[in-house]
Amino acid sequence: MKRRSLITGAAIFAISAAFAPAFAQFTPTQPIELVVHGGPGSGNDVMARQMVTIIEQEKLLPVRVQVANKTGGGSTTASAYMASKKGDPNTIAIFTVVWVVDPLTQEAAQNRLNDLTPITRLVTEPALAVVRADSPYKTMADFLKVAKDKPGTLKQSGGSITSRDNIVRQLLMKQTGANWAFISFPGGGERIAALLGGHVDLMIMDPSEAGEQVKAGKLRVIAQIGDNRLDAFKDVATLTEQGFKIPDVPQTRGVVGPPEMPPAAVAYYEGVLDKLRQTAGWKKFLAESQLENVNEKSAQTRTFLTAYEGQLRDILKEAGAKVVR
Amino acid sequence: MDIADGLLHGFYVALQPTNVLWCFIGCLLGTVVGILPGLGPAATISLLLPLTFSMDPAGGVIMMAGIYYGAKYGGSTTSILLNIPGESSSVATCLDGYQMARKGRAGAALGIAAVASFVAGSVGIVLLTLVAPPVAAFALRFSSPEYFALMVLGLALVVLLSGPSLIKGLLALLVGLWLTSIGTDIFTAQARFIFGQAPLLGGIEFMVVAIGVFAVGEVLANIEGGEESQLLPVPRGLRNLLPTWADLMACRFAFLNGSVVGFLIGVLPGAGGTIASFISYGLEKAVSRHPEKFGTGVPEGVAAPEGANNADTGGALVPLLTLGIPGGSSTAILLSALIIWGIRPGPLMMQESPDVFWGLVASMYIGNVMLLVLNLPLVPLFAQLLRLPTFVLHPFIFGISIIGVYGVTGRVFDTVLLAGFGLLGYIMTKLKYPSAPLILGFVLGDAMERALRQSLMMSQGDLAMLVQRPISAVMLALAALVLVLPMLSYFNRARVRALAEG
Repeated sequence: MKRRSLITGAAIFAISAAFAPAFAQFTPTQPIELVVHGGPGSGNDVMARQMVTIIEQEKLLPVRVQVANKTGGGSTTASAYMASKKGDPNTIAIFTVVWVVDPLTQEAAQNRLNDLTPITRLVTEPALAVVRADSPYKTMADFLKVAKDKPGTLKQSGGSITSRDNIVRQLLMKQTGANWAFISFPGGGERIAALLGGHVDLMIMDPSEAGEQVKAGKLRVIAQIGDNRLDAFKDVATLTEQGFKIPDVPQTRGVVGPPEMPPAAVAYYEGVLDKLRQTAGWKKFLAESQLENVNEKSAQTRTFLTAYEGQLRDILKEAGAKVVR
Repeated sequence: MDIADGLLHGFYVALQPTNVLWCFIGCLLGTVVGILPGLGPAATISLLLPLTFSMDPAGGVIMMAGIYYGAKYGGSTTSILLNIPGESSSVATCLDGYQMARKGRAGAALGIAAVASFVAGSVGIVLLTLVAPPVAAFALRFSSPEYFALMVLGLALVVLLSGPSLIKGLLALLVGLWLTSIGTDIFTAQARFIFGQAPLLGGIEFMVVAIGVFAVGEVLANIEGGEESQLLPVPRGLRNLLPTWADLMACRFAFLNGSVVGFLIGVLPGAGGTIASFISYGLEKAVSRHPEKFGTGVPEGVAAPEGANNADTGGALVPLLTLGIPGGSSTAILLSALIIWGIRPGPLMMQESPDVFWGLVASMYIGNVMLLVLNLPLVPLFAQLLRLPTFVLHPFIFGISIIGVYGVTGRVFDTVLLAGFGLLGYIMTKLKYPSAPLILGFVLGDAMERALRQSLMMSQGDLAMLVQRPISAVMLALAALVLVLPMLSYFNRARVRALAEG
C-alpha cells in the first residue's frame, strides 16, 4: 500500500515535472486576434466587438484584442484559419453551431470543432421567425399553410445553407410537408433588406436584430424558435406551443483556440472569460441582446460538443442533409 | 422636428467646442489611415472604439464618422503618386491619377481629388439631409435581380476601359472573373479553384490583386525601362503643383456625375464605394468629348471616381441611419458602436436620438470643410515625394505594397500572392493588356454571380425575372446601350470616311 502510494506520488511528481513548463503562467505579450466567421455587423461580430470593449474597459487583458473577420464557406474559412494557427496562444475565435455543422456536411470542411481547442461556452441564443408587418401571416401555421398549398413560392432569406435558419426550415418542411425556398445572403444587412423590401417572406432572426424593426412597426414576429418565451416578446407563442414540435436546435456560441493550444493559455483564457461573465457590461449586453448565459469550461465544452455533434448528425439526417462525417 | 429645425439643432450640437475637436481628430486620423494602405477605416474605427465609450454618444459618433469619410479623402494620395490604391475604392483613381503624375502633374491630380472629394462629399451630405427617408425606401426595392443588372452595367464598362484592343480587355476581364470565383461558394459551401491551398478557401483579398497588378507591376516595368534617376518629373514652383482653373472647369460635369452616382450607389446596401467609383469613371468617359484621352491622365478621370467615392459616404449613411442596415464593413462597425452607446439606428432614430442623428449630419458639413483645408496644403508637400531618386522610391513602393497587403490580411501567404500578381501586372504591361478590366471583373464578378444565383432561386429558375422587374430591366438596357454605342460610332466613322472618300 505504502509502496503503491509512493509510486503514485512519484508518478504525479514526474507528470507534474514533465508538465511544469506547460502549466507555467501564461500571459499574452502580443495583440490577440479574435476571429469571427461572420462579416462585420453580423450577430457574432457584434458580440466579439462587445467582448473586446469590455475586456479593454475592465482591463481584463494586458494586450490589445483585434477582431478579424474570416468569412466564407460558413465557418470553413475561419476554422481553417484557426487550424493553420496550431499551437498559437494569441489567436482565439468565436464559434457557433455552424462550426459543428460544416464539417458534418462538407467534405472540404476538414476541421472539426473538437479538433481545435474549445475554451468555453458563453451563451445560447434564442431566435424568432419574423415576417413583414403588412404580410398576411399572423402565425407560423398561416405561413406553413401557404407554403404547403403553393410549394416553392414563398422565400426565406438567411445565411449559409448550413446555418440554423436553414436547419429549422428543413425540419419544419419535413414535419409539415410544406416547401419554400432558402436564399443565402452573406451579410445580415442584406438579409433584413431583402425582407423589408418584400423580396422574401420570412427570416429567422436574432431578437436583437428584430427588436427595433418590430417596435417601428416594420416587422412582425410569428413564432419563437426556442422552448421558452422571451421577456421582450411575451405575446408570441413558441413553435412547440403552436403545435410544431421539431427537435430542439440550440444555437450556442463560445470561444475556441487553435489545435494544441498550450494548456496554460487555455486556463488563462478560461479565467479571463470568467471575469468577463461577472462584469456589469457583459450582463447588460446579454440582457440587451436577449442571450442566455452559459458557464462551461474547456473540458465541459468538449463533452457538450461531442454530444451536440451526435445530436446534430441525427437532426441533419432527419432534415435530409448529406452527412459526410 | 422638420429638416430645417433638425439641421439647426444639429449644428448647435456639432459646433460645441468639444465636438468640433472630435470632428477634427476624426478627420485627421481618417486622412492618415486613408493614405496608409493596409490600415482601413473599418479596422481603425474598431481599434478606437473602446476609447470612445466614456464620451458622449454624439461626440463619439462624430469622430467615428470623421475617420470613415476622412479615409476616403486620403485614399487617393498613394493611388496618384505611387499607383498604390490606399483603399479598394480608390483603384479607379489610379487609372488617370497616376498617369497625370507621370506627366509631372501629380500636384494637380491631388488637388483635383481633394476638390472633387469636397464637392461630392458635400453634395452627398445635402442629399442625406434632404431625401434620406424616400431614398431609403427606394433602396429597399433593390434586390438580387437589380444588383445583378447593376453589376452587368458595371461589367459593360469594360468596353470603355479596354484601351485600343477590346479583345485584350475582354481577356483581362475574364481573368478577373476567374480570380474572383476562387474560394468557398456560399450557396453550396464547396471550394472552387483552391488547388489544395487552404488559405485560398476564403478567396483572394482584393487589395492583393490591386496592389500587385498596379503598383508592383508598374515598378517592375519601370525598373526594366530606365536609367533615369527620378521616377517622375516634378515641376518647380507652387503654382505648378496645384490644379489650374482650366482643370477645374474640365471637371464640372465630373463633380456632378461623381456626386449623384456615388450617392445613389452608396445607398444600396449590396454595392459600395468601389463599384460607385468605377461606374462614375465609366459614365464620365462615355459622355466625354475626348474619351480616347482617358487613361492617359485627364483631370475628369480623377474627379469622377474620387467624387463618387466620397458621395458614397452620404449615401451609405442613409440605410444605416434610417433603416438600421449597414452596407459595408465601416458602416457595420458604426452600427455596433451606436448600439453600444445605447442608440438603435432605424426608422425611429430621428425621433429617439435627434442629438446624435442631426449632430452627425451637421458635423459632416463641418468635417468636409476641415478635410479640404487639411488636404490642400498637403498637396505640394506630397508631390515632393516624387523628387526622391528611383533607387529610393522603388524599394519604398515595394515596401509599402508588402506592408499594405500584410496589414490587410495578416498572412505571409498573401505577400507571396502579391509577388505573383506583380509578375502578372508586369507581363500584362509588356504585352499591352489593360489591367483595369481585370480589376473590374474581380470587383464585380463575385457580387454578380451571387446576385444571379439569388435571383434564380427567387424565381425558381426563371430568367425572365431579370427583365420583368422595371429597375433591373432599365439597367440591363443601359448596359446593352453601353455595349452597342461604341460599335455604332465605329460604323458612323466608317460611313463618314466612306462618304468623304466618295
